[in-house]
Amino acid sequence: MATRAKDRFQVIGHPSIGFYGLVTVLLAVFGWGIYAYYREFTEGMAQTGLRDIGTMGGATWGLYVAFIIYFVGVSFAGITTAALVRMLNLRQLRPISRIAELLTIIALILAACSVLVDLGQPLRGIVNLFRYARPQSPFFGTFTLVISGYLFASLVYFYLDGRRDAALLARYPSRLRWFYRLWAAGYRHTPAERRRHEIASFWLAIAILPLLVTAHSTLGFVFGIQSGRPGWFSALQAPGFVVMAGISGLGLLAVIAAVIRVTSGAGKQVIPEDVFRYLGIFLAGLILTYLYFTVAELLTIMYAGPRHDVETTWALLAGEYAWMFWGSVGSLVFSLILLAGSIFVLRRHIIGSAVVSGLLVNLAAIGKRFLIVVPSQTVGPLLPYGAGHYAPTWVEYSIVLGLFALGTLMFALFSRIFPLIELAEEVE
Amino acid sequence: MRTVIAIIMVIAGFGLQFVSYFFLAAPWGLPPTGPVHSEPRVPFAPALFILGVMLVFLAAVVYELLPERAGN
Repeated sequence: MATRAKDRFQVIGHPSIGFYGLVTVLLAVFGWGIYAYYREFTEGMAQTGLRDIGTMGGATWGLYVAFIIYFVGVSFAGITTAALVRMLNLRQLRPISRIAELLTIIALILAACSVLVDLGQPLRGIVNLFRYARPQSPFFGTFTLVISGYLFASLVYFYLDGRRDAALLARYPSRLRWFYRLWAAGYRHTPAERRRHEIASFWLAIAILPLLVTAHSTLGFVFGIQSGRPGWFSALQAPGFVVMAGISGLGLLAVIAAVIRVTSGAGKQVIPEDVFRYLGIFLAGLILTYLYFTVAELLTIMYAGPRHDVETTWALLAGEYAWMFWGSVGSLVFSLILLAGSIFVLRRHIIGSAVVSGLLVNLAAIGKRFLIVVPSQTVGPLLPYGAGHYAPTWVEYSIVLGLFALGTLMFALFSRIFPLIELAEEVE
Repeated sequence: MRTVIAIIMVIAGFGLQFVSYFFLAAPWGLPPTGPVHSEPRVPFAPALFILGVMLVFLAAVVYELLPERAGN
């Protein structure tokens, strides 16, 4: 079931006071993030906690890189869900298809912003990547496939998928009519146009799925093929990245879907409980897979791993990073139990458990991303340096918070100008 | 006509990706032995690769938006 165009149009036209309050808060947080970035840009990376490995006893990759991986990971589930809905005709997940597509686009924009803030001179990154990126480097794949190709493909998918609703909204007088007409680009929802859209979407989905698996694997290879850092060189890095990407993305999708279900007037009808059941089942399956990877990786390293790798792993299991490691693993295990209990045993409280699990797995994902990036630089150095330390500064925390505010702001503002849930057939 | 243009765009896109990746960007070198393997043979070859990726996906837009006949 979907909302009716007129109802949706009325919702779009009248944002509540709460919405303005939310936008004000988000703008304030985003503004604070801009100020923090201004400090970093003008005073240099010394404003961050990032320092050279070994000689300065620090880490050159820190919070920003952890969040690049996190945001790219979140983007995975969005377009995967949309593409699977199209390819496998998963009608149960159809209501959240557009939310998923938008989540992908926003997450990729935030990932690109995270890359830029990680560079002392962002212009060098923008120009030099286009000019000098080497095909031998996994960064080439990350940059070309993830940030550029994947984002562009998602935009194309999103644009084409939204034309029908734009055409419906263009029938009603409003200040944004020109925008809807522009988006619809002459779409009239004729049988020929519908068929053409089905064909184009199907082939887009076919093209996007291998692209996103390659793209996320490439991000894993950035770490997985580096033998010079203990804890990174592993064949499980790429598949682990893909699975964790699915976990964080599906979790966030469940949270956003629940928020829209509550805040939207017709939300309970358009986002039924079945959506959360499906998301929960997929999420539980991915969590189980990731936990298996984690156990396999730990057993392999601790049984007969190189000395430096064992040192790094001990730091995770019982050292400086143990609280974060066990916190992340505990969140994943708890989420798995919660989802399995509510979906398969109790058969109720499914939405609540999906939301709680969604939040927990995202905290776990952030923790795991941080643990992939940082300990391998500060613990178990191959050169004769002592152990290092990395603690993010207020500048880094503020910038990351600002990015979250920017993402939420984009989501909130877009929901005011365009329906996040497909409009009903009857209005045609 | 629409289908033909879309297919041409897809082929051109993949072709551009192949050429820019293997012949215009920095040579692979197995293993790479010097700075020559870091220098792209044509500046902005990675940008051409991205253009190829975009061209492939843009074919879907052309396929959906292009009218069947002129004036249709």
